[in-house]
Amino acid sequence: MIEIKNVDFSYTKNTKLLTGLSLNLETGRIHGLLGKNGEGKSTLLKLISGLVFPFKGDINVMGFEPLKRLPEMLQEIYFLPEELPQLTLSIENFEQVYAPFYPNFSKEQFNQYLKEFEIDTKKSMLNKLSHGQKKKVFVAFGLAANTKLLLMDEPTNGLDIPSKGQFRRMVAASISEERCLLISTHQVRDLDSLIDGIIIMDAHEIVFNEPIENITKKLLFKISDSNETNDTLIYSEQNMQGLYQVCENKTNKDSRLDIELLFNAVVTEKKKIKQLFQ
Amino acid sequence: MHTTFNFNRLVLLLKRFFIENKTIELTYWGIMILVFTVIHNAETVKTILYIMGFIFAAKQYKLFAYTPGGMHYLLIPATHLEKLVCNILLTTVYFFTMFVITYSIGNIVGTNLFNLLNGMSNPVSWNFFNSSYAQLMGGNTSLIGNNIDLPGGNVFLNMMVKFLIVQSIFMLGSVYFKHNAIGKTMLTLISFVIIIGMIELFFLKDLFSGVSLGPNTHLLDNFGYGFNIFTYLLIPFLWIVTYFRLTEKQV
Repeated sequence: MIEIKNVDFSYTKNTKLLTGLSLNLETGRIHGLLGKNGEGKSTLLKLISGLVFPFKGDINVMGFEPLKRLPEMLQEIYFLPEELPQLTLSIENFEQVYAPFYPNFSKEQFNQYLKEFEIDTKKSMLNKLSHGQKKKVFVAFGLAANTKLLLMDEPTNGLDIPSKGQFRRMVAASISEERCLLISTHQVRDLDSLIDGIIIMDAHEIVFNEPIENITKKLLFKISDSNETNDTLIYSEQNMQGLYQVCENKTNKDSRLDIELLFNAVVTEKKKIKQLFQ
Repeated sequence: MHTTFNFNRLVLLLKRFFIENKTIELTYWGIMILVFTVIHNAETVKTILYIMGFIFAAKQYKLFAYTPGGMHYLLIPATHLEKLVCNILLTTVYFFTMFVITYSIGNIVGTNLFNLLNGMSNPVSWNFFNSSYAQLMGGNTSLIGNNIDLPGGNVFLNMMVKFLIVQSIFMLGSVYFKHNAIGKTMLTLISFVIIIGMIELFFLKDLFSGVSLGPNTHLLDNFGYGFNIFTYLLIPFLWIVTYFRLTEKQV
């Protein structure tokens, strides 16, 4: 669905933000994009949707070159930005204006999602809603648009605790074999049990891109009482509950993926992780 | 699906504008009717047309000053050409229609109100549409018969051309500059006029010493037909530049 090859990008002439970035994303998956601030996560989403153009390299999205911003491509992409546009429209009018641009938009789904988010009336003006409520409307619209590619930049920012759970349920239910979701976030806990692929950016490049089943097959996440080390240990960090460890899974044991721990392990022990997944 | 231009998508874009800007547009209509109820002198109305026109044109791409607004606009599934045509229609056909209707209503209401309050029976004046070529020149008829050949000598058409040039310059400015598009476009325009004036004054005056360049004469006027063609071509030229600028726009 998305093929990125050796892409270079920068906002200024002197500093390069992305260098030689390559990435392949398949359909039927929810990919989580993780990285520290300023690593270029949002820029990557913008490159995929054609909002910024690469200096070098190729990007192919569903067979289209994003920089051309052809309507055939745009009607199959929904990009939920972190900061939402200021629209002086009621929810009803928002649907009336924008839904016709998306051929697979489902009014029933939109109403259902709004109901789940407890937005009772479509008469409310978007500019009068709180940031969280506005985000719910845009999330509901994005999911109901049924586009093949859904890009979300920090989608849970501003959502209250119950809404984060609803968001996870809705997103999980919306995935299909033809669809691909790419969610960029800092709130790794919000992605727990939702994503089935993790992409980690560090030092302006993709350092990790693996499906969850591969991660838990090759890595073991555990809490240890003692400070004992063994040859399988890759990374450890002391926490209130004990010593959190990421080890090589030589015994094929099942463990629960800790995304935050994985992120720290990947960023700290890049070489070891890379070798293990090669 | 037509990749380059699809009429349905153009209609959707127009519909989007009117639904999204319903309140603000109705406010403009109301304000303009009120203004024209008080002011209906042809020259002042013409000035209002230009000022309102460039503000309206510059407003079209104001959304690029705010990144989420620009992102939202660029990601609307329509071609750049459809988006440009939509804005051209809005800044020309729609704006001019709004202007003519609000002026007509304001003019009729204002004249009748004036007659009623002063016990007079002045007819409604349509000077704005009917003004003669001489009126365009502020009563200075000395220029008539010069090389300038405005089509049909029609001041209204001439005014329309000027209006379209101003509109297209400000539309280009609004897509070109990210912040303070109106101010920056104006500054660019003033600088351009000053440079042209200086070229005329210091260089071409000597080069074409036979050509009279009196206080009311301008270099370009002496090109006659050439100037007319240039002004007509300038409009589509600016629209084309705006189109390419839009295709290259990154947010």
